[in-house]
Amino acid sequence: MAEPGRDDRQPTAHEDEREFAEERESLWRITLGPTIWAGHFLICYASVSVYCFRLERMFGMEGLRLALGALTLACLAAIGWIGWRAFRRWEVWGTGEFSNPVGNAEDRHQFLGHAGFLLALVSFIGVVFDALPLLLIGSCR
Amino acid sequence: MTASLRAETTGPRPRAPRRAAARLWPLAALALLAGCEGRQSVLVPAGEDSRVLGDLFWVMLVGAVLLWIGMNGLFYWATRRSPAAHSQYLANWLVILGGILFPTVTLGALLVYGLSIMPDLRATGDGPVIRVTGEQWWWRVEYERADGSTVTTANEIRLPAGVRSTFLLDSKEVIHSFWVPSLGGKMDMFPGRVTEMTLGPERPGVYRGQCAEFCGESHAWMAFEAEVMEPAAFEAWLEAEAAEARPPEGALAERGRALFFAQGCGGCHAVRGTPAVGQVGPDLTHVGSRHSLAAGRLGTSVEDFAKWVANPGAWKPGAEMPAYAHLTDDQLGAIATYLEGLE
Repeated sequence: MAEPGRDDRQPTAHEDEREFAEERESLWRITLGPTIWAGHFLICYASVSVYCFRLERMFGMEGLRLALGALTLACLAAIGWIGWRAFRRWEVWGTGEFSNPVGNAEDRHQFLGHAGFLLALVSFIGVVFDALPLLLIGSCR
Repeated sequence: MTASLRAETTGPRPRAPRRAAARLWPLAALALLAGCEGRQSVLVPAGEDSRVLGDLFWVMLVGAVLLWIGMNGLFYWATRRSPAAHSQYLANWLVILGGILFPTVTLGALLVYGLSIMPDLRATGDGPVIRVTGEQWWWRVEYERADGSTVTTANEIRLPAGVRSTFLLDSKEVIHSFWVPSLGGKMDMFPGRVTEMTLGPERPGVYRGQCAEFCGESHAWMAFEAEVMEPAAFEAWLEAEAAEARPPEGALAERGRALFFAQGCGGCHAVRGTPAVGQVGPDLTHVGSRHSLAAGRLGTSVEDFAKWVANPGAWKPGAEMPAYAHLTDDQLGAIATYLEGLE
């Protein structure tokens, strides 16, 4: 029953507290994609820099390229999995709702899925772009 | 006053000065375009590197123009042709296709194209190795020969066509940047760190190089000539450049030589084959055969040499070389004749 003057779309304080606890996990999960992207960038940049500055004359680059290529595939797989989980949480096919303006638990749940999916998408593209020089340049020059 | 203004606006319009100025724009644009035809233009490539960079420029330009037309076309369509609210469905797909898919694919394609041409631009050299050191504000140039010897010259670079020359770039005091737009991209020169670049010139000719990193008050006057020669002509030139300076010919040049040493010029400049062994300023062994004097600042006539020696700071503010204004015109003329004869 609606209280007079209360917005039906918004949850009560009690509901809010209970549901919010459930979303804590997915709240930090949406940062996973960008975190993997950042880690991948850092590892690629640092290892290639160290190799080109110190180790280029000692051994060829193939080993490093293969290792970073494998890391890239692992990162892409992880981001793909995170993105798929987020996409399912978004439920856009089921509900047909692109955006989730309502503040209740279900909408918040879907919104976090939406945000997580988009962040995973950006991270996936970022990792692919980061890895292209390994594929196309393949040397320190 | 108001009435007269009104009368003017209703009658045939007199040509306002602004309209006359507007008519000059095409001329100004033509003048600017003429600059593109010059010997310092990426758009008129004379080497493999500049050709690649020129292609990159045109690809980016055509792409940017198409995008500009597309975006403005959409803007026009959304505000003038179809100003009513669009359906949510259409808007969603516009964001997905136009805001995510299209930029991702376009940027990805540009990145792949850009990365794919980079190895060509950084290919290893198979031609001469030339060490260039940036000084304020001139270029010390040393050719490393196969026998381990070096040939030192200044403010001019000669290259054989058809092979990739390697440049080892260094700087004495501040950061400079080495750039011959007609031949390729630029590379910074850092004090205490040697950077390497290669250039593959194709078309013989004389091109202009320029310092491309602000390096002090005469940065704009820090230029050089880059001559691309047929390989045989290059070898002959390098052989001649390695030789010692020619002795002066004629009484005036003899007098100039004596004045050159009396004034202490050899303390800063080297003229190989003479007691002048200074390393502070440019090597003058064959200065008379160069295309320019003072790193592209002046020509190489006797008058140009005299003007420079009398007061270098007038031509190149901040130049370390002192003025020799105390010399008479005759004395300056004699020194200039000696220097001009050092071919």
